[in-house]
Amino acid sequence: MRQTLVAAEVYDRLQRAMASDPEGFCDLYRDYLSDARLTLSQLYLACHGRNSDELRAKAHYLKSSSLVLGVSAIADLCADIEDCSAEIEFAAVSKKLGKLTQLLNRVQSELEQKLGPRVVPAAA
Amino acid sequence: MASSSPIRLLIADDHPVVRVGLRNMLLSDDQFQVVAEARDGAEALVLVKKWQPEVLLLDLAMPNMPGMEALRELTSHETQTRTIVLTAKIEKQQILEALQLGARGVLLKDAAVEHLAACIRAVMQGQYWLDGRPVQNLVQVLRELTAQTAPPPRKTYGLTSRELEVVTLITEGCTNKDIATQFGISEETVKRHLTNIFNKLGVGNRLELALFALNHHLLPATA
Repeated sequence: MRQTLVAAEVYDRLQRAMASDPEGFCDLYRDYLSDARLTLSQLYLACHGRNSDELRAKAHYLKSSSLVLGVSAIADLCADIEDCSAEIEFAAVSKKLGKLTQLLNRVQSELEQKLGPRVVPAAA
Repeated sequence: MASSSPIRLLIADDHPVVRVGLRNMLLSDDQFQVVAEARDGAEALVLVKKWQPEVLLLDLAMPNMPGMEALRELTSHETQTRTIVLTAKIEKQQILEALQLGARGVLLKDAAVEHLAACIRAVMQGQYWLDGRPVQNLVQVLRELTAQTAPPPRKTYGLTSRELEVVTLITEGCTNKDIATQFGISEETVKRHLTNIFNKLGVGNRLELALFALNHHLLPATA
């Protein structure tokens, strides 16, 4: 059985709740991906600028939406980034941001398989 | 008619995706009505005043005014709104603080989609919601939380040994009559003890007393 990155239980519940608005459901995950991309770029900037407070705030922000939408792998990585930021371990944060980028790409692919190309946000 | 009217809610979270996700979960159930959404604690306070929702879903980590500060402000207002704290992660000490400030539930965000409706219903029925389930005995939960958060060196705050015994029984949920029976004294005497205890500790009621006792390690370690 292949492990999914988006928790099936959360995804299914949300999908059922929004059964009358499938486009809205797709838009919700598209907005999540779009916002995650933006936050990721802000995380890179904060890491480059060695801004620990900004790193923690942005990591927490992304963790929040990831938890609610069932993308727990990203939420866990964000929690790690929060911890490393608190310890001012920018080298570790930098590595984790690389992982976060890869993970976000995988989440996007998974969502694209489930929801089609509409879920992919327009390129920045 | 009144019993079938939907529960009016306000969602306060700085993340639009979180607000939209929760709103859609709630809108799928005709027992719920989202009357407003706030992006930070300050806006939440304004909207609570304006809309008087029955339930406020309050994120803790928000800009401008964090959720805990908003909760503190809410306790100083005359409001019937019941607050459910919504958070990614929470320490036991923060749970205690939130409950002291009047929160009726704590809902973790990773369980929000699964438990949101049950949590709101439990709170509307007068229960508390902690750890993914409704809580019947708040005092017991508070005792457990307190035991887990700090070592309990016992202080007396000028209370006599009998007053300390009364405090212990109060935190166990005993009525004045129970206490009177247990100590073989009159209810009037129990009331007098309570008045003295309230005056010494600066608390105004039994719940405040129980919280004070738990937070200030006023209870015997084995109680």
